[in-house]
Amino acid sequence: MTGLKRVMTLGAWLNLYFFWEKKWFFIAMIIGAFMLHMPLPQGLSPEGLIILTMSVVSVILFVTEPVPLPTVALLIIIGQVVLMGHDSSEVAKSLVTDSVLFIAGSLMLAVAVVKQKLDKRIAWLIVRMTGTKTWRVCFGITVVSGLLASFVGEHTVAAMMLPVGITLISLTSDDPKKVRNLAAVLLFSIAYGASVAGIGTPSGGARNAIMIGYWKEFFFDPTNPETFKFIVSYVDWMIHAYPMFLIQVPFVTIILFWTFRPEYRDLSRAVVKLRKMIEEEGPMKAADWMSILIFFLVLLGWVLISGEIGMGTVAVAGAAMFLVAGLVRWEDINSGVNWGVILLYAAAISLGLQMKETGAALWVAEAFLDTLAPFGASEGFGLWAAVSVLTTGVTNTMSNGAAVAVLGPIVLKMSVVANESPIILGYITAISSSFAYLTVVGTPACTIVYASGYLKTTDFLKVGWKMAIASTIIMLVAAKVYWPLLGV
Amino acid sequence: MVEWKGAPGLSDEEITARKEHFRILVCIDGSDECYQSLQYAARLGGGVDADIVLLFVRPVDQGLRSGGLQVRVARENMLKWGLELPGIKYLKKGFDILGELGMMDGEDWSEHVVHTDVDGDPLGDNKTEYVNAKGKMVVLKLKVAPDIATGILEQWELGPYDLILFGTSGRWKGPVRSFWDPAVAQKIAIHAPCSVLVARDLDVGHGHLICTDGSDKAMEMVRRDGEMASHCDYPVSLISVALDVEAEDEAKANVDKAKKVLADMGIEVKETIVKVGNPVDEIIEAGPDYSLIVVAESGKTGLRRFFMGSVAYKVMGNAHNSVMIVR
Repeated sequence: MTGLKRVMTLGAWLNLYFFWEKKWFFIAMIIGAFMLHMPLPQGLSPEGLIILTMSVVSVILFVTEPVPLPTVALLIIIGQVVLMGHDSSEVAKSLVTDSVLFIAGSLMLAVAVVKQKLDKRIAWLIVRMTGTKTWRVCFGITVVSGLLASFVGEHTVAAMMLPVGITLISLTSDDPKKVRNLAAVLLFSIAYGASVAGIGTPSGGARNAIMIGYWKEFFFDPTNPETFKFIVSYVDWMIHAYPMFLIQVPFVTIILFWTFRPEYRDLSRAVVKLRKMIEEEGPMKAADWMSILIFFLVLLGWVLISGEIGMGTVAVAGAAMFLVAGLVRWEDINSGVNWGVILLYAAAISLGLQMKETGAALWVAEAFLDTLAPFGASEGFGLWAAVSVLTTGVTNTMSNGAAVAVLGPIVLKMSVVANESPIILGYITAISSSFAYLTVVGTPACTIVYASGYLKTTDFLKVGWKMAIASTIIMLVAAKVYWPLLGV
Repeated sequence: MVEWKGAPGLSDEEITARKEHFRILVCIDGSDECYQSLQYAARLGGGVDADIVLLFVRPVDQGLRSGGLQVRVARENMLKWGLELPGIKYLKKGFDILGELGMMDGEDWSEHVVHTDVDGDPLGDNKTEYVNAKGKMVVLKLKVAPDIATGILEQWELGPYDLILFGTSGRWKGPVRSFWDPAVAQKIAIHAPCSVLVARDLDVGHGHLICTDGSDKAMEMVRRDGEMASHCDYPVSLISVALDVEAEDEAKANVDKAKKVLADMGIEVKETIVKVGNPVDEIIEAGPDYSLIVVAESGKTGLRRFFMGSVAYKVMGNAHNSVMIVR
């Protein structure tokens, strides 16, 4: 082969390969172009069709990931200006809401909290309380991971507790194969403990903040006192969801021990070594107390004043306090937060609000209810279960915040059409979105724990379906029995 | 085989030396299959005095999936606790196996540790090189890449390899599933520019079964594998499959041709098999009596290989035991 010919074949090969790798991007674009040019379905406005098309294309890209995810956010912004003809300053303004500010602030807080080296103290607290029996240690880890995660978000806790789990594993045995099941119960105790807790408070996860934002945008009307119940406060949320988290905790340990039988019933060897490691740290220092103080100030801020100044403002204030006190460097925050995610949520929420304004959400909601009607799931308890199953399915394929951002508007409109309480269906959507136990990518905690290299993707499937069923049943029972007592 | 054009940071002598050496890349993932393939590589490498590179690929830590908190925050926290990265243990175990097999005996080995920063990852790429007086290399490498298959293919770019070995259990996914998410082994087999050995329960003693269809490519492959196998004293057998009864004579001729080529090289053929039927099925059926099925690549490019599927590729995907595609 001559040189030129070789370059040309190589070029052709590379180009083809590029298209192959990005095939889903082109498939999504072709579907989008097709949808834009199809005859307008009955009851849908032309703007609604454009927004619906953008949502479908975004969902395909979210799930298949042919391009880096923040690219989808950029495409949504471009679409809103070019296809919808909105003013670009207006589009830019619609991006940042209190929910987005909250997501940004709590991610910065997360990095600050992980950097505080409090993990060793927490580990010591756990083993001091639980003793050395494997199941007691696992239960202790689940409880503590859960309690922390319900306030600071599951990713924070997973990042903090992962070394504790791995230290216990590697102190027990050097050979990962001999402790495979032990590794699974310890690491899943962290991941699932954090995941089930994420529903507990609005600051437990981005999805909760997104739902609170949607309730306000969709239903709140300052002139109508009837609609004031759609401003859900931090405490309101806790009253509804926190008990549900507490009930799930024992189930986590039971299901894990039922699925994986750990090789060691007792971890005394590892616990003794861990204690020695921790004692080397010495007593608590002033900086440690300071970070605990700031942490509690932020919690108090969320509980007491987030109604007036917004949850986002409290989160940002907390991050600022950590920086002012010199407890974390900006460089650490800068490299520890993936800023693309914030952009992604901003664009997804903005798209969700457009779904409502153009009537696309209503149209999809009606179509969806018509499909559910033959199964008797178009109202009441059947609809709740259908929404829960739908959300669980979607959230296992994409990040749970994105799932709520996309499904939220549709579910809320469905509740209006079906004459159901938007509050109940909203809670069900936000809470079901945390049932992403099946895949590594489903919840942040699972992704972080998977990075340790001790777990296989099949482990998630093996235990995840049991967790998903248990959680769904607990939630539906709570919705039927507990929430009516609260007068929802 | 695609021409290798050198990698940044290497002198001309190093590039020539690498091209002249027989270099084997063994992908380590901690499974039993990968250590079996490592033992096989060690025997092969002992015979032809090859360089052996042990590679563990760790997916790059990124935060889109972890809810916006970068995985590196967790990773840095683990390092602060003094915990090792996943993979280091697996590589060390591989190194111990090489030691037990006597690969590291003899002359003075010099040790050389290299670290390369990778954007977005707190640890980057790390490798430990052992070089002896004769220039033979054993390398342990921990690499970071967007995904495992990409990491292994990128490693080829850094130094040419004559053979990539990796272990896999079971058969591959069908065309529908692989449209969604091709298995790592499948992706490497399609895209690797050099010979690829997929190890399934690879045990050493039973020799090579070389498949030939009489084409020039196949004859070239027979020569190359015959040489390799004879270096390690592995018995060699030949198989040719005719599509129907009329073509049976032709298949016989193919086997005889290959046998003669090997005889000229001083290699004795243990047995010859001629079958009639579907080549893929017949080869897979005859396979389990041998350590390794050896097939030639029909020379299609990656995408055409994927869409049309050559006999070689189908055998590799569906065989019950180990398969080597020679390129």
